[in-house]
Amino acid sequence: MSLLEIFDPAASPRPIGIDLGTTNSIVARLRDGAPDAIRDCDGEALVPSAVFYDRTGRVVVGREAQRMAAAHPTDTIVSVKRFMGKGADDAETRRLGTYEFASPTSPEEARSVRFRVAPERVVTPVEVSAEILRALHQLAEDELRSVGPAVITVPAYFDDAQRQATKDAGRLAGLEVLRLLNEPTAAALAYGLEQKQNGLFAVYDLGGGTFDVTVLRLEDGVFQVKSTGGDSALGGDDMDRALAEVLLRAMAVTVDASVASRELVRLALDAARQAKHALTERDAVELTLPVKGGEETTVRVTRAAFEELVAPIVAKTGVSCRRALRDAGVRAEELDGVILVGGSTRVPYVRRYVAELFGKEPLANIDPDLVVAYGAAIQADILAGDSHRADEILLLDVLPLSLGLETMGGVAEKVLPRNTTIPAGAKQVFTTYADNQTGFELHIVQGERELAADCRSLARFTLRGIPPVAAGMARLEVTFKVDADGLLTVSAKELTTGLEQHVEVTPSYGLTDAEVEEMLLDALDHGEEDMQKRQLAERKVEGARILQATRGALEKDGDLLDADERARVLAALDDLATALESDVSARIQGRVDELDAATKGWAGRRMDRAIGQAIAGKVLDEVDASVAHARGVEAHVDEHARRR
Amino acid sequence: MSDAFAVLGLEPRFDLEPAALDARHRALSAALHPDKFAGSAATERRLALGKAIEVNEAYRALRDPVKRAECLLAARGVPIGDGAEPRPPAELLMEIMEVREELAAARRAKDLPALERLERAMRTKEQATTAALTQGFAAAGGAVELLAALLPELGKLRYYRRFFEELEAAMDELST
Repeated sequence: MSLLEIFDPAASPRPIGIDLGTTNSIVARLRDGAPDAIRDCDGEALVPSAVFYDRTGRVVVGREAQRMAAAHPTDTIVSVKRFMGKGADDAETRRLGTYEFASPTSPEEARSVRFRVAPERVVTPVEVSAEILRALHQLAEDELRSVGPAVITVPAYFDDAQRQATKDAGRLAGLEVLRLLNEPTAAALAYGLEQKQNGLFAVYDLGGGTFDVTVLRLEDGVFQVKSTGGDSALGGDDMDRALAEVLLRAMAVTVDASVASRELVRLALDAARQAKHALTERDAVELTLPVKGGEETTVRVTRAAFEELVAPIVAKTGVSCRRALRDAGVRAEELDGVILVGGSTRVPYVRRYVAELFGKEPLANIDPDLVVAYGAAIQADILAGDSHRADEILLLDVLPLSLGLETMGGVAEKVLPRNTTIPAGAKQVFTTYADNQTGFELHIVQGERELAADCRSLARFTLRGIPPVAAGMARLEVTFKVDADGLLTVSAKELTTGLEQHVEVTPSYGLTDAEVEEMLLDALDHGEEDMQKRQLAERKVEGARILQATRGALEKDGDLLDADERARVLAALDDLATALESDVSARIQGRVDELDAATKGWAGRRMDRAIGQAIAGKVLDEVDASVAHARGVEAHVDEHARRR
Repeated sequence: MSDAFAVLGLEPRFDLEPAALDARHRALSAALHPDKFAGSAATERRLALGKAIEVNEAYRALRDPVKRAECLLAARGVPIGDGAEPRPPAELLMEIMEVREELAAARRAKDLPALERLERAMRTKEQATTAALTQGFAAAGGAVELLAALLPELGKLRYYRRFFEELEAAMDELST
């Protein structure tokens, strides 16, 4: 049956889940209701997150790129995830590594890390990540033929800039990104479906470059995140670096910017990683390494020595775990289980540490490398509307880091505290401090520190067009909205005039929409033409989805329409159905807009009904129960009557 | 903010069952979360998002005893906020000053156990104040004067909460 599906040219696009990891990336989908990773021709599910740029302009992703890293340390980007959403001056660029960074020539360029690669190219982390996503998409297409929209996972502790960068990478890769899903939540979803057990869980997710801990409650299909914490620059890479530094000393290498030095650093990092893997099974390994002058040296690394080296790194995770428990108002002994996620949780020392920290043996029965992609595939299936699970499952996630505004004296005032359930919103009213002031600047920051300068700067918003009045008279209402992806948007309104204010956004980090658009055009062979094709395909999928959703709503809530409205909705539905047969993108969009207008009032009434039903839910259940009971009595009476 | 109790369709009372609040929030989220509208038309998506945000805001408010009390008082027309409330009594200010000094000393000495002792002691006081408010709200019914008489207790709770924020920051600082 699956063979038929694969080769059916009219097969509907299948949603996919992507774990875009620091070290490895995975694409998964649902097969017969169960998540399954898509494997390459060698049967490998793990695609190394390595991108090699060769001298001819060719780009290679995955295992082959990883093999090039040793000989081309500056042209092969591994662990690009750690640079996502980071500025050119970020501390990450100064850690032990092999890259050549392009120094920024303008403030715009300084908003993103830029790698200098062959052939004289400069690429941003968003572009590098997009290459990985493209390769995963291709892998999925080889198997599924027609690939639908995607859910991409991100570390729960990713801030707004890192999330935005991930979403941009998805867009650049030509994916329709349905949702950014937090990795620990994705893992919990995969476990929750397998175990079918309600309770309070902690997810400990130590990956190649990031650490997350999430405390969540699972109750009847609702996964409610209570708190999350972590470090978006802590992971297996840091273990490798710690060991590599020891190895480099044994090799008598002084690290500098030369190519020779970079090659040796790459060699030491790779040797360290292999040693780390080997030490999972063995008590000691011997590494043969080159020293200056063509000699070789043998370094013996015991498991005990390795553990001593990584202990301070692992100890950092404990701090985040304790805080997450405190934020959730939960004691470790109240947890029903601890779930291990991420390749770095294979390190025996990490497992012992987690068991001791939480006072229980952690669960690792689903492959910690694949579990996040599994969760993403399940969520993609639900969001794409194909799943019977859509009504049974709900993920309620939180904002990982407080959002705030810089106020007088450089203090960060929190507008939305960390661990607020998303989507979330808040309003804040400001006034002008000078007569006839017509502009206003807001500095948005994210983080827990008291001073704005110590938090992460997200953006500066300039409001213009405030009516010129005396100081303190204007009333500016600024609205923060965080959507289900954890992404922030800000809008402003002048309350005395009711005018929406024009908001100019200058992101502190990352790319502007225009920059992504331009990259998108560059990336496609036939620029405009390809773009239009893609847009048409997306519009068709969206139009079909809306058609289906509206028909479903007619069945469920058709009684909320009067005759006129019903006629208009039905006509708009027919028009959209006809437009979908055409290949005119603008026409489809026009019909979608018309349907939207025709269903506006109805949508409001349906929403009110849904709210009413949710509130009355318990009462309804009780009524149902009493009806059932009453029927039972009738049945008794009938039976009695028959017997007579 | 609109009345949080009304948004969640809950009877306005201070001694709200946390389990009932959670269950109502879950039920409303299941109806309104953006995930449930992934395939819907733009207007409907926007509407649902707005409602989902409102529900989450109300949930956040009612989970917090201070905001919950404020909602109840505001709904009955008791003026709250700066200027409208009686000034904190000198004993409270003294008490807060003393514990803040203790906090600062423990922070300087990097004495985590001392911070934890301080936290336990203050949590006990916080619980006593919450209990007093619970009783007060129950006894007041809807009587505005009786409700207004609860303002000093609410003021205490706000001071304690601010203290806990500082304490938490100190604990974070010491454990990193």
